[in-house]
Amino acid sequence: MRNRGRFLIATLCGLVIAVGVHIVAILASPSFAEQDTFGRVQSTLTADTAQIISAPGGQNTWLPLPDPAVAVAACAFDLRDGPMRVAAKTGALILSFSFHTKTGGVFFAVTDRAAVRGELEIVAMTARQLDEARAAEDENEPSRDVRIVAPEQQGFVIVRVAAPTASLRPQAEEAAKAVSCAADQDVAG
Amino acid sequence: MRGSSTTSLPVTSRSVPTALLILYSLLLALGLGLGSAYQALNGDPPFGSLRVGPWMVWPKLGSPEADPYMRAIIARRGDVPLATGEGITLSARVDSSGRALDSSCSYRIGSVMPAARLWTITLYDEKGQLLVSELGRSSFTSAEIVRDADDRFSLALSRTLQPGNWLQLPPSGSFQAVLRLYDPPGAAGAILSESTFPGIERVGCGA
Repeated sequence: MRNRGRFLIATLCGLVIAVGVHIVAILASPSFAEQDTFGRVQSTLTADTAQIISAPGGQNTWLPLPDPAVAVAACAFDLRDGPMRVAAKTGALILSFSFHTKTGGVFFAVTDRAAVRGELEIVAMTARQLDEARAAEDENEPSRDVRIVAPEQQGFVIVRVAAPTASLRPQAEEAAKAVSCAADQDVAG
Repeated sequence: MRGSSTTSLPVTSRSVPTALLILYSLLLALGLGLGSAYQALNGDPPFGSLRVGPWMVWPKLGSPEADPYMRAIIARRGDVPLATGEGITLSARVDSSGRALDSSCSYRIGSVMPAARLWTITLYDEKGQLLVSELGRSSFTSAEIVRDADDRFSLALSRTLQPGNWLQLPPSGSFQAVLRLYDPPGAAGAILSESTFPGIERVGCGA
C-alpha cells in the first residue's frame, strides 16, 4: 500500500514537471530551430537586392504551401551594420513587405498602397539608431524616411509580389528581385 | 533502537528506493513533456483558431501577438505566414458539411468572396505539395476566374475535366484547399463572417 502511494506521488510529480518541460520546450524551440526561415535566408545577408525564395508557380521551394500566384523574395538584415533601407518601385502588381525577427515573429508589414510617388521605402533600425538619426538631423529639413524600430538586431524582410494571371508571373518575379535592401550608409556613417 | 531498526528494515527493503522513484518521475516528465511538445509542433496551432464555414483561420498567426505555439510551429515549418497588413490565409480540410475533403469526390466552391485586391484558391495534397492538373493549373486567382452576370463564381474540383472553372483532384487521397486574400480593406479580422466566404459543397462521390 505504501509503495503504491509513493508511486502515485512520483507519477504526479512527473506530470507536473512534464507541464514545465512542455512549456520550456515550446518557448525555446524557435531559438533552436535551424531550418526556420531566418536560418535559411542568412545567405542573403550580403546581397544588395532581395533574393527569390519562392518563384511564382510554387515549384522548387522550401516554403510550405507556396502560392503559385506569388513571388516571394527575402533579404536578411543585421542592424549591427547600421540601419537597413528597403526600397521598391511599385507598379500594377500587388507588392508587400513584412519585417520579421528570428524569435519575435513579424513586427511590421506594409503594402504598396503606402507607396509615395511609385516608391515604397522603409528604413528599419534599432531604437538607438533612431535616436542617433534624430540627433544628427537638420531641424529645418527633417528626414522623410519611414523609420521602423526593430525589436531585435537580426531579422529578415519578406517581399511578396502577386501576379493576378500566369502571364504576369515573370514580371512579378522581376519586381521581387529588383527590391533593394542594403545597409543605410547615410545614417550609419 | 535496535528493536525499531529491525522492525523498520524489512519495510524499507520491500519498498522501492526513493532514488528510483525520482528517476522515474524525471523520465516521465521528460518523455511526456518533450513528446507532447513535439506533437504540438507538428500540428496546427492549438489556440486562436476561428472557423468560417469550412475554412479555418488563425487571425493572429501573422501578427506580433502570435502565441508561443504559433511561433514555435512557424519556426518548425520554416513558414512565413501572411502578415496581418498583407492579407489573410484560410485553409479547408473539410467541406461545408464537415466531411473530410476526399479526392474521390467532386466539389463545388462558390459563390461569393470578401473584398480584397486579389484572392487565390490553391489545392495541396496531404503532404502540402501543389496539386497540378493536366492543364498545368493548381490555383485560381480572382483575375482568372470566370464569373456569371451577378458577379458570382463557381469553381469545380474533380478528377475529371469539367467545363468552366476547374481544378483537378488527384486519383486518391485527401487534399486541402487554401484561400488567400491579399490586401483586404480594413482590418483583416473584421471581414471574417461566414456569409461573405465561399462554401465547399460536395457534389458527388465515387467513379
